[in-house]
Amino acid sequence: MMNIKIPALMLGMVMVAATLFAQDNGNEQTKNEAFKPVLEHRILAGFNFGATAPVGFPNTIRKIEGFWPEFCPSLGYELSYRATHKWGAAIAVKLDYKGMGTKDVVQYFPTIITTSDGGRFQGDFSGENKTTVRNAYVSFPLSAVFTPNSRWRFNLGGYVAWLFSSNFYGTVSNGYIRNGGPKGEKVNISEATFDFGKEMRTFDVGLQGGAAYRVGKKLSINGNLNWGLRPVFPDDFKGMDFPLYNIYLTLGVAYRI
Amino acid sequence: MNVRKLCCIAAAIGLLQSCIKDAPLNPEADIEAFTVPQHQLTGDVFIDQTKSQIRLYITEEAFEKGIAPVIKVSAGGTVSPASGDTLKFDKEGIKQYIVTSANGKNSKKYTVEVINLLLGKLDFERWDTVSADGANWKYVNPLGEDGRQIWASGNIGIAITGVTEINDFPLHISTNAYAGKYAAEMETRPGNELSAWMGIHLFAGSMFLGNFVTDFLLENPLKCTQFGQPYKGVPSAFSGYYKYQPGPVFIDKDAKPVAGVTDRCSVYAVVYSGTSRLDATNILTSDRVLATAILADGSAKADWTHFEVPFKMVNGKTVAPGTPVMLAIIASSSAEGDHYRGAVGSKLLLDNLEIVHE
Repeated sequence: MMNIKIPALMLGMVMVAATLFAQDNGNEQTKNEAFKPVLEHRILAGFNFGATAPVGFPNTIRKIEGFWPEFCPSLGYELSYRATHKWGAAIAVKLDYKGMGTKDVVQYFPTIITTSDGGRFQGDFSGENKTTVRNAYVSFPLSAVFTPNSRWRFNLGGYVAWLFSSNFYGTVSNGYIRNGGPKGEKVNISEATFDFGKEMRTFDVGLQGGAAYRVGKKLSINGNLNWGLRPVFPDDFKGMDFPLYNIYLTLGVAYRI
Repeated sequence: MNVRKLCCIAAAIGLLQSCIKDAPLNPEADIEAFTVPQHQLTGDVFIDQTKSQIRLYITEEAFEKGIAPVIKVSAGGTVSPASGDTLKFDKEGIKQYIVTSANGKNSKKYTVEVINLLLGKLDFERWDTVSADGANWKYVNPLGEDGRQIWASGNIGIAITGVTEINDFPLHISTNAYAGKYAAEMETRPGNELSAWMGIHLFAGSMFLGNFVTDFLLENPLKCTQFGQPYKGVPSAFSGYYKYQPGPVFIDKDAKPVAGVTDRCSVYAVVYSGTSRLDATNILTSDRVLATAILADGSAKADWTHFEVPFKMVNGKTVAPGTPVMLAIIASSSAEGDHYRGAVGSKLLLDNLEIVHE
């Protein structure tokens, strides 16, 4: 699933950018003479909505009973260089909280938990799960910027991000786990907690793109989709047997200074 | 159409593709219940999921005529021979049941073992090594004189927390025997990181007549110890030999040292009525208890020490002839180990236990 979807998304974005670029080329000659390259500064503020989620659910997830965003502010500064009237590039530094909560029902869900003292538990869980994710990243988005007119501004690019505070915890309840796998001993679980916060990868990289619409002299509202391409847990983490990605939409404002 | 809309559509498509898939077929292949009419039982049937063994505690008559058990397996699974088929305890009789999971990928082979009334010696000369398919753990468990599974311990529960080596388990073999080659050694061991998640910082060594179920391990570990083997009447005394060395530092449930307290061992026997087993939550408090024999001196004993404790009837209790009765022997290297209090390193050695009849 993952293999199809992300390239499709990338392709979609590239096609849009290419279309816009083609339009731009047509108009370029008329406006170009008066324009001087300029540096622009913006303060970005907003909230992240989205999920740290698998791309394509495994069949062990039977039902999503609830989903809610966590309080996830996003605050940053963007420096852009407008090379031509319509084209430029931007780099930003942002403090991004990415989080969510979810409640689901799973069946025969394989998990392996290793502890720092060398302990290891392997088993299949069936029952209810509630997970809360709230991670703080310092992220550096890098974009190509297209400004077709005085109202709209579009950006497309990638980001790198470093995790500096992580929360990934929850409970499993009303179910059972089978020691070692489907043939092992059954242990009922009325409620037990887990915390994988310390296991998370500290580096994330992904694609990002969005649009801003100017509503005041210096103020714009914007939306930006950030799609992580690197699983948030390392390959040797087996608490879940499928990869999770940070997929978040930032909704907020940009203020030009 | 602008990029933002496109992004929203892309995200929505992503979410749509993430919808719930068809349920996986059941990979489990358990015998969940093995029902025998109550009048044929001397003790409740026990299904040991670790050893894939059905333990039957049946009357002599049922043993001679055979039984027709009703078998319930994991949802969607199949069992051969079928539920309701007659099981005879002669040379031609059924020796095993094979359960295949609904998804066809897993099967479990269950053997049947009939446990006789407890009469043989309890001398810890025969031991069984227990492990599971693909498991990295291995522990030992004493057997009856006839090689049957009469003893149990919390070792399987400790294996689930990640302990793997035979001698790291609280119950193991000792060659320091009073008589014969071997004795049973119980040693209170430190908990580990996984057990600490459950609030357990100490594994007391324990051993008992009966069975251990894993189902309640997280919810209520005291319910996991299913004490007792079928018996007849009330014996006169419980005797044996023991050695005991308490560990240096007594800790409480939160692993904090408690000054001035020395660990004690506990060794006792209980006779109670009925065919269903009592557990660590009620073995001494149930109104089914008929008589107890409790070793009073749980202090350090450097040399093999003999004990003989008479069974004391609970006030006003009598045993009508023909009443089904169960007998439990329970021993632990930390007397308060059931409340996760004790001293790491406490060691209890037991050998040549005996249930004395007048």
